[in-house]
Amino acid sequence: MDDQSHLLEEVRRGMIPAHIYNDEEVFRLERERLFSRAWVFVGHESEIPQPGDYVVRRVLEDSFIVARGEDHQVRALFNMCLHRGMQVCRAEMGHASHFRCPYHGWSYRNDGRLVGLPFHKEAYGGEAGFRRKSQTLLPAPALDTYNGLIFVSMDPDAPPLRDYLGDFAFYLDYYTRQSPSGIELRGPQRWRVKANWKIGAENFAGDMYHTPQTHTSVVEIGLFREPKAEKRKDGCTYWAGNGGGTTYKLPPGTLEERLRYVGYPDVMIERMKQVWSPEQLDLVGHDGFMVSAASVFPNLSFVHNWPRVEDSDDVLPFISIRTWQPVGPDETEVLSWFAVDAEAPEEYKALSYKAYLMCFGSTGMFEQDDVENWVSLTSTAGGSMARRLLLNSRMGLLEDDATVVPPLPPERFSGPGEAYVGYGEYNQRHLLRRWADYLERPAESAERIHVGRGGKAVTA
Amino acid sequence: MTSARARQRPTGNGGPYSAESALGGHAPALQRTGRSLPFSDERHLQAHHWLVEEAYLLDAQHYDEWLDLLTDDIHYLMPVRVSTALGAGYDSAPGMAHFDENKYSLSRRVARFATEHAWTEDPPSRLRHYVTNVRTFATEDPGHVVVDSAVLLYRSRGDVREAAVVSAGREDLLRRASDGEGWLLARRTILVDDAVLRTQNLAIFL
Ligand code: FES
Ligand SMILES: [Fe+2]
Repeated sequence: MDDQSHLLEEVRRGMIPAHIYNDEEVFRLERERLFSRAWVFVGHESEIPQPGDYVVRRVLEDSFIVARGEDHQVRALFNMCLHRGMQVCRAEMGHASHFRCPYHGWSYRNDGRLVGLPFHKEAYGGEAGFRRKSQTLLPAPALDTYNGLIFVSMDPDAPPLRDYLGDFAFYLDYYTRQSPSGIELRGPQRWRVKANWKIGAENFAGDMYHTPQTHTSVVEIGLFREPKAEKRKDGCTYWAGNGGGTTYKLPPGTLEERLRYVGYPDVMIERMKQVWSPEQLDLVGHDGFMVSAASVFPNLSFVHNWPRVEDSDDVLPFISIRTWQPVGPDETEVLSWFAVDAEAPEEYKALSYKAYLMCFGSTGMFEQDDVENWVSLTSTAGGSMARRLLLNSRMGLLEDDATVVPPLPPERFSGPGEAYVGYGEYNQRHLLRRWADYLERPAESAERIHVGRGGKAVTA
Repeated sequence: MTSARARQRPTGNGGPYSAESALGGHAPALQRTGRSLPFSDERHLQAHHWLVEEAYLLDAQHYDEWLDLLTDDIHYLMPVRVSTALGAGYDSAPGMAHFDENKYSLSRRVARFATEHAWTEDPPSRLRHYVTNVRTFATEDPGHVVVDSAVLLYRSRGDVREAAVVSAGREDLLRRASDGEGWLLARRTILVDDAVLRTQNLAIFL
C-alpha cells in the first residue's frame, strides 16, 4: 500500500477514490490487513442454545463450526480436518456430539478434540508417531461475545471485544438487550449481490440522506405512519467507539408514550425500564431519539424500524442484524437475521417477524431498492474513469473542516459519542477512517501449528 | 423450532411448511390424497392451464391481475433452505422464510411496484418463468386440488449484467372459485433450490 498512501490520505480528508469500491488490490489489502485483525460477527448464542448445536459460518474464505460443547461453552472451530484438510462439517447447521471426517474417518468431539483416529497404533505407531492427545480442530484465534453476539478475530492479540466496541455498546443494547433475556435470532436469509461490502456498511452507519429518495415508494404505499420521508432530517446520526448509526426524532411525550408510539407493548416497555441505564432511557424519553440503522466496523449492521403490518393505524417494530460478508471486490454475501426480544409475547414476535420480511432481507421492500443502487455503483467503480474520480463524502463539513451544525450538547443527547442533527456523512467518514487505519498497518505473520508433533513454530 | 426438528425427512416438495410458520395459522390445511391424477383428468388439465396463464402474468408483471387470482386467505410461503445432514429431519431454517405473506402484505408489494419509485424494477427486469413437472392431486374436498410444479425463473437486468436464475419446486393448493368458474390460489409453498440466493433481491414472485 506504500504507493497508495495518498489514497488513505484522501479518504481521511473525506474524499473517496471511487475505485475502492471495486478494486482487486484494495480487496487484497482488506483481506490481509483488515479481516485478519478486526472482530467479525459470526452468529448469536440463541442460534445454538443446546450443547451439541452448531452453525457453520465464514470469515472471508475461512469456514468455522460455531458449536456449543457439552460444557455449554461456545467455540469457533476451523472447519478443516487435521489429517489431510478435508472439510469436517458440510452442513450449515445441526446438532452433533461428534464430527466425523468423511475422508479417512478421524472424529472430533463438538469441543474440537480429536477423539477418533482409525488405526492409530498400526498406522502411526500410536502416540509415539502421532500425538493424538491434546489435538483439536484449530480454534479461531480469538472469540468473544457481547449480549450473546458471537465475534471472532483472526488476531490472537485482538483487544477484548468490549474494548473494541467501546461506547457503541451503549447503543447495541437497544437492539440486543430489551429484557434480561436478550434477543433470539432467526435466519439468516443469505443472498449474494454484485456490490462491494463497504457500501452497505456505510449506508447503514449514517446515510439518512438517501431515505427520502431511495425509499419514496414504501412511504407512498402507506407502510409508515409518517407521510413524509423527509422526516429523517429531524433525526440525528451518532458515532461512539467503533460504531455509529442513525436515529429518528419521536413526537413529544414521556418515555412510555414514545416507546408506545413505535409500537412496543407495555410489558416490553416495563422490561426495558429494568435493563436500560438512566442515560439509555433518557435518549428516548427525554431527548426523543429512537435508534434506526447502525453499523459496527467493519461489516456488521443493525436496523430497527416500525412499519404497519396490517391494514390499520398500528405500527410494530422489528430488528434485523446483518453482515456484509465480502466474497470479492465486487461481490458480497448478505446474511440477514431477524432478531426479537426473547421475552416478547408470542403474538408480538410473529408480527415483528412479518414487519421484518416486509421491510428488510431478501424480499424487503426497503432493501430491494438499496441493493439496486449498490450493484450499479460497484460496477461503475471498476473501470479506469473511476480511478480519476474522488467522490465527495464531506457532507456536514465546511471547507475548513468546521461542521455545518454544532454537535448536540449533552442536555439534548444523553448518549456517548458525538451526534449531529440532520443530514451528514460523519459516520461514513468515521468508518472509512478506521478502514484506512487498518489498511495502513502491514500484516504480521501468524503462528503456525504443526499437527501431531510437539512444539510450535513461527513463520519467518 | 422443536416441531421442525421432529419432522420426518422432507419430501422436497410440499409438506407441512405452512402449518409450521408463525404466520401460517390462517392457511388452509388441506393436503393431497393418493397418487397424482392422470394427465387426461379434467382437473389436471385445468390446473396446468392455470399455472401457465399465471406464469404469463408474472412474466409480464401484470401484478394487479395476478393478485385477483389469489384467495383472501392465501398463505404464500418461501422458506429459507439450509444444508443439513441427511437424517436431520429438516431442510429449511426454523422460523425464517424469504416470503411469508398474506393477502395484505402481497398487496403492499404489488402496490409498491405500481408506484413510480420502485427503483429496483425501473428499468424493469426481463422475466421468464418456465413451468414444468406439473402433477395434480385430489384432496378430501372436491373444491380443492394440490398441484406440484417446478419453476425456473430467468431474470435479466440492464445490458451487461449476468442474468439471475432461480430454480424452485412449488406446491400449490388451488380452490375452485365460488362461481364455479376457474381456480384461485389458496396456498403456495416455494422450495427454492439454493441456500444462498444468486439474485440481488426477490423483487419478483415465483
Ligand atoms: S482428511 Fe480427514 S480423516 Fe483424512
Ligand atoms: Fe436504504
